[in-house]
Amino acid sequence: MSPPPARRRGHRCTGDREKGEYMLSGREHAASGCRTRREFLYQIGAATAGLVAAPRLLAEPGEAPAARPDAPVPGKATRVIIARDETLTKGSVDEHAELLRKLLDAALQRLTDAPDAATAWRSFFKAGDRVALKVNTLGLSTQPAVADAIVAGLCAAGVRPENIIIWDRFDRELAAAGFKLNQSTDGVQCRGTDAERIGSGYAEEVEKSGEIGSCFSRILTGPVDAIISVPVFKDHGLAGVSLGMKNFYGAIHNPNKYHGNNCDPFVADVVAHRYIAPKWRLTICDGTRAQVQGGPGRSPQHAWSFGGLIISNDFVAADAVGADLLEQERHARGLKSLAEDRRPPKHIATAGARGLGQSDLNRIERIEV
Amino acid sequence: MDGVMGRLPQPSRRDVLRCGLGACLAGGMVCRLPCAQGQDVAGTGALPGVALPGVVRHPARHWEKHADGEVKCLLCPRACVVGDVERGYCGVRENQGGKYQTLVYGALCSYNVDPIEKKPLFHYLPGTQALSIATAGCNIECKFCQNWQISQFRPEQVASTPVTPEQLAANCAARGWPTLAYTYSEPVVFYEYMYDAAAAARRRGVGSVMISNGYIEEEPIRELCKVLTGVKIDLKAFTERFYVEQCAGELKPVLRALEVLKDVGIWFELVILIIPTLNDSPEEIKAMARWVVERLGPDVPMHFTRFHPTYRVTNLPRTPVPTLERSRDIALGEGVRYVYAGNVPMHPGENTYCHQCRELLIRRVGFRVESSLIRDGKCPKCGTTIPGVWSQEQALSFAPRQRAAGTAQGTS
Ligand code: SF4
Repeated sequence: MSPPPARRRGHRCTGDREKGEYMLSGREHAASGCRTRREFLYQIGAATAGLVAAPRLLAEPGEAPAARPDAPVPGKATRVIIARDETLTKGSVDEHAELLRKLLDAALQRLTDAPDAATAWRSFFKAGDRVALKVNTLGLSTQPAVADAIVAGLCAAGVRPENIIIWDRFDRELAAAGFKLNQSTDGVQCRGTDAERIGSGYAEEVEKSGEIGSCFSRILTGPVDAIISVPVFKDHGLAGVSLGMKNFYGAIHNPNKYHGNNCDPFVADVVAHRYIAPKWRLTICDGTRAQVQGGPGRSPQHAWSFGGLIISNDFVAADAVGADLLEQERHARGLKSLAEDRRPPKHIATAGARGLGQSDLNRIERIEV
Repeated sequence: MDGVMGRLPQPSRRDVLRCGLGACLAGGMVCRLPCAQGQDVAGTGALPGVALPGVVRHPARHWEKHADGEVKCLLCPRACVVGDVERGYCGVRENQGGKYQTLVYGALCSYNVDPIEKKPLFHYLPGTQALSIATAGCNIECKFCQNWQISQFRPEQVASTPVTPEQLAANCAARGWPTLAYTYSEPVVFYEYMYDAAAAARRRGVGSVMISNGYIEEEPIRELCKVLTGVKIDLKAFTERFYVEQCAGELKPVLRALEVLKDVGIWFELVILIIPTLNDSPEEIKAMARWVVERLGPDVPMHFTRFHPTYRVTNLPRTPVPTLERSRDIALGEGVRYVYAGNVPMHPGENTYCHQCRELLIRRVGFRVESSLIRDGKCPKCGTTIPGVWSQEQALSFAPRQRAAGTAQGTS
């Protein structure tokens, strides 16, 4: 055996270890100080919440997360809201910020039967919550306008902008997808796990969950009370679909190790972890631009003008309905089913069987708004 | 020292203090690397893909195009089929627009000057030093990996610096290090870099040894042996079950690769990390040793080394020394001529004894060679030829034998 000088980016040196192994500190980090480009929207949110010495999302030790107040009630049909508007398929998604916000509010109201949008948002989030929005910027990306609409809803529920973080794996992929990075302490934060700043990177300890052994993003291991998965409605060459659950492959350092067997049971193993499942409040799947084949990379010939969002507080149900819709569209286009293409999205049934949510389509109430 | 060494990054005083490795600098050890900026290697043209720190893009070898923009990697038995913008299992090879790239061509995350005994290679230029290098990534995942902080991470997740193959070779030549060692993580996954570095090293009279898990396809390993001068393979166990459950790999392709090495005629040694309860049964060791003698010959050294709890296997104790001794005795009993007990400093099982007359030939203490009596590759007492590589001329004169018909297809 020949132990090396092992060095992880961003890791503290732990000194000489047995047989001369050692780890080294990462590079010096430079805070960019840049601000989010959607300042107007965030300022509205900030005004709503009031900016008074708010706790930083990652700057303070976390309290124990509350149990999910919104967990689906056993025996009651799980709701999945499909909110579509053809207008969204026209022009750029950015042009439809107001429409997206209205659509999302209506969906949340329908999901909760709340009398108004703010009440609906408050049924999932409370003022002091620190909320992490996991977007997906690999290949076909989450639209920044969708994240903006979610931020607006959170702010309406009293969540402070500086307690919201929009994140994915890399700063550079976020930027390439149109997100404006914000690593300052003001406003909605936006950065990648691999951002070059203190507090970024992956945790040093390997976490075991089922068959996986991974280091989780420090964004998740830090003080986060609530998680929203904001995936893109798209096909995946190995897992069948890349929806709310598969999105969290972007939260571990070694997703490429878990692509075997259609990513099953590894997707369920990842999301079942204590950093994720207990804190997951909503899936808001961005289907403003969808893709039925060739994912997760962009494949324009397989683009699907779905023009909407898929929303649920049951993350398994949201994916089950998404996968079903995608299968229907594939069928309509004469494509093989995912099973025929040897990539059935098995992880959804696995997650259901583990009690993480409802995967039985017969027990899911689909509501279109 | 030529100018090339001056271009290799040196640790700052703060880094050295943090690492507690001030003393190591005296020996020329470099203990910290600044992060490489994302880039293409000069001369390869601008390659597509997001520029990430630590990622050095270069066209990959051994892959084929598939439908719908997918590619199939032919480098290792995992045979990843990789969609656009995705990476293979090892995390260091990426499909960009239907073309496959390596992301670690020169993205050095570890380098060190080690005794060759540390690899361990005991029959390859004993007492010499090797410039030992690694990039991020591995094509299997051993739950007991000692170097998981680099092997199980992606290039953008570890600190690294870009160093060209030519720079590596020039450094060795200038410093008088006879060997470049590709080690620590898994060199198979930085194949292109290793190949080019080994070719450059040969041109400058420097040998190259690969320290590997042997999880590699036949064509790439045959090609690689044209530029290597020695190999060490970690044979993790002798059951498929162990490989599947503990390493996310397979045994059979490793055995096939070993037969290719035998066929090619390159010098190689085997290391078996003995883990209590997982791969230490006398029956398994016996079967392994018997296979080695039958298929590789009695002259391939076997090193049984001691496990220390780490990574995902933290619930098992260190290997008891008697278990190593028992394994060594079993292998000797099966006819393996050179069997060592490793990671047990001062143990007599670290020494080399003539297989013919049992004369003590090389006395080792840890990685240090205390004395060596081998002359011209022979035992001074009985004149028996000792298998191994004993001079740089011998190392550099190696050329792979032509493929024997049907070789490497016969492992069942
Ligand atoms: S070298 Fe990497 S990408 Fe290629 S088959 Fe092996 S694990 Fe897959």
